[in-house]
Amino acid sequence: MSESDVAMTESTWSGGALPYAISSKKLGMWLFIVADSITFGAMLVAYAYLRVASPDWPIPFKFNPSIINATVMTFVLLSSSITMVAAVQAAKEGRVRACVGWMAATMFGGVLFDILHIREWLGLIHEGVRLFQNPWGSPLFGASFFSLTGLHMTHVTLGVIYLAVVAIGFGRKKFSADDVEISGLYWHFVDLVWMFIFPLVYLISARLR
Amino acid sequence: MSSVAVHAHASAGMSWFMKVWGCLLVLTGAEVFLTYEELRLEVMLFLLMAISIVKAALIIAYFMHLRYEKRSLFLTLIPALVFVLVMMVVMFPDSFRIQTMRLISN
Amino acid sequence: MDHEAAPSAVHHHSPPQGFIWKYIFSLDHKVIGKQYYFLSLLAVITGMVLSWLMRLHLAWGTAAIPLLDKLSPNGAPGGVMTPEYYLSLMTLHGTIMVFFVLTTAPQAGFGNYILPIQIGAEDMAFPRLNMLSFWVTFVSFVTLVSSLFVSDGPPISGWTAYAPLSALGSAGGPGLGRGQILWALAIATFCVGSLLGALNFIATTIDLRAKGMTLSRLPLTCWAWFITAILSLLAFAVLLPACVLLILDHIGGTSFFIPAGLVVSDALQPHAGGSPLLWQHLFWFFGHPEVYIAIVPGLGIVSNVLACTCRKPLLSYRVLVGCMIAIAFLSFTVWGHHMFLSGMSPYSGLTFSVPTLFITIPAAIVCLIWLGTVYGAKLRLNTFGLFAIGFISVFLTGGLSGFFLAQPSIDTYLHATYFVVGHFHFVMGVAAIFGMFTGTYFWFPKMFGRMMNETLGKIHFWLTFIGVYCIFMPMHYLGFAGNVRRYAAFTDDYMLPLIPVHKFITVAALTTGAVQLIFIFNLFWSMFRGKLASANPWEATELEWSTPSPPPFDNFGGQHPVVYRPPYEYNVEGATAEFIPQFTPDPVIKA
Repeated sequence: MSESDVAMTESTWSGGALPYAISSKKLGMWLFIVADSITFGAMLVAYAYLRVASPDWPIPFKFNPSIINATVMTFVLLSSSITMVAAVQAAKEGRVRACVGWMAATMFGGVLFDILHIREWLGLIHEGVRLFQNPWGSPLFGASFFSLTGLHMTHVTLGVIYLAVVAIGFGRKKFSADDVEISGLYWHFVDLVWMFIFPLVYLISARLR
Repeated sequence: MSSVAVHAHASAGMSWFMKVWGCLLVLTGAEVFLTYEELRLEVMLFLLMAISIVKAALIIAYFMHLRYEKRSLFLTLIPALVFVLVMMVVMFPDSFRIQTMRLISN
Repeated sequence: MDHEAAPSAVHHHSPPQGFIWKYIFSLDHKVIGKQYYFLSLLAVITGMVLSWLMRLHLAWGTAAIPLLDKLSPNGAPGGVMTPEYYLSLMTLHGTIMVFFVLTTAPQAGFGNYILPIQIGAEDMAFPRLNMLSFWVTFVSFVTLVSSLFVSDGPPISGWTAYAPLSALGSAGGPGLGRGQILWALAIATFCVGSLLGALNFIATTIDLRAKGMTLSRLPLTCWAWFITAILSLLAFAVLLPACVLLILDHIGGTSFFIPAGLVVSDALQPHAGGSPLLWQHLFWFFGHPEVYIAIVPGLGIVSNVLACTCRKPLLSYRVLVGCMIAIAFLSFTVWGHHMFLSGMSPYSGLTFSVPTLFITIPAAIVCLIWLGTVYGAKLRLNTFGLFAIGFISVFLTGGLSGFFLAQPSIDTYLHATYFVVGHFHFVMGVAAIFGMFTGTYFWFPKMFGRMMNETLGKIHFWLTFIGVYCIFMPMHYLGFAGNVRRYAAFTDDYMLPLIPVHKFITVAALTTGAVQLIFIFNLFWSMFRGKLASANPWEATELEWSTPSPPPFDNFGGQHPVVYRPPYEYNVEGATAEFIPQFTPDPVIKA
């Protein structure tokens, strides 16, 4: 293609333009999400690998309280995602107070998720589950459970803090609606990871009696 | 730097997003229901992974808005991600081998 | 729609004031690039000194090395290294070289400095993230080197940190407790720094190209840095959780990588259920793309420089780009070739061997394109041209030995011998370093505003070129003879006749190491006393040569460059000028 005599072309890929029509910051967040997805993917694959390799893997999660709790946590996280969508919608329409309110609801969902999760952890610890042993089977159960869900919980907690910073900043007109949307991307990613952790860690290990 | 062409691209309204949310809740319920259907492990795993992928796709496409972004963004991000995740599956033959060895030695 | 529209809106920061903001916590990609470069220089000197210590021990195992007992009374009592200390130094040597030299200088060093200028941008897309990436990498380096100073020393498990040795803790041997944890922390930190850098490079290349800089007008260096950044983004994301799991095995009592029934020094280890093979899979899943992260920028730099040296366009720009992309893609499919002898499923062996052989094809095509470019060219052999052509030689040599190792049947014999050591040192320890030398000699005028001494440069090249062949070529024969690697001493009967070869290699290594002093002297002396450089001393066509040497704070002095033509328009038929820079708008000059 003879380009040398046409310096300015209309294509968004010919420089001086944003080819994806999104801000660089948003692209950066997407790239971060791709990398973090691979990190979680590797953790899940490691967990699955070890589980397949261990004939003595325990199946300890009773319907009440474990599966119910995990299902409620899933519901809470999914709901926090829809409130985040509402927040982004409000931000784009310039409704600052509505946006901050919806973001507060999202953060509340995240905190609630964390509380339910910690409660569950404490229950398991009370039953004797540790990183290096448990009363039921392979010691890797506790190791993989706590490390996987711990990594996820860390992401949720950091997400709540991140959302708080953005919400306050947006309220003070220091951040833009784009920033709100970018924080929303992160939050949905955290929800997305849970969509895999919930069945692969909990449902597969549900005690069926 | 000259000004940039940014498209005002279409997006759905809240009611649509609520429908997606509803779908996600239904799919979650389906997963929990399937758990107690006493299926074989391989079948369960396959169905749960399939449902999870659908849920993930819904979140990525709608909540994360990728459906409404330029196609080139999707093509940049998702195929590479899927490729890397799929490549990790090549690790599994070894875990099955270890399982067999451990079962035999028991 | 509320999008942050103009890319330039992000970068309107005024020149920094004050020493701290100008040189320490600078947001300027040029300063950050130099920071990375000098960190790498410090790392390569450290790594080289470690290699001298190793080589001295291998050749003269009973000799006392001065000052070594001060560094580690336990590791080298009386100055004579224990076998474990040899392994500790070897671990540190490998880790420092792979991460802080090969993964840092070619990409974060040169890439940070040159990429924004070559695409016509004022800075990277995320300057603050860039600054953070450097300091995170610096902290990682300090953490790693600090393992030399803890009581037990650095870990003895090699840069590959195979489990269960690396996961056992101090029960496994010296350095495996605190040393290994420091190692894992350092590497995990490095992963974070690399990931942040990678997303910066990708966003910059996509979003901040100047008007007219289409993807097919990108210099091959930019393509290489872009592809390497994608590799980094995807690969480091796997190493990070692997290191986290390793740390948990140490401090959390977990057994991710430790199976049941392991008896170490007559003590049964309190672990069960884990799989050492899992560590190898996770590590090499990262590790193989990593070696391409180390070499692809070199491929870009050499391609870029060869066009300038040969004063003609490359034989095929598109095929070169396609080959780099093919190499990057395939690099995710071959990791198991490091694991042929690990106890991995033999069917997996086939799965990995075939793509490994495939990946030699684009690499070979790249070399052929270069040779085709050099053929019939009127060469302007500056030092950087010599190193670029030298790169072709050493890359080919290193790649050829890869053919052997790609086949499980042959690898059964050659795995963990000096053949492998020769192979990876040629491709990584020599070729990638040649890429860095090429880059240094080529861009020094731009970066420091002065010229390096050409005579010293040429002496440096020839002595180094001969030297590296003397060091690493014999290793292939050692490998065929069965010489095992990662041994501190060779006491078996069949290895005794090989000791003279080791002595030769050691002498060559020390000599070639000493030769590098010429380079170091040239580098620093020229920074202060070199002849002042013009904007385009090499008569090159890329955008960085349109700026003063060194460029002003915002690279183009407030101008926004426009790109009109592809790179590498040297001696274009029908053109009036010998070379046509990319920013030249004259439409009459067409091929």
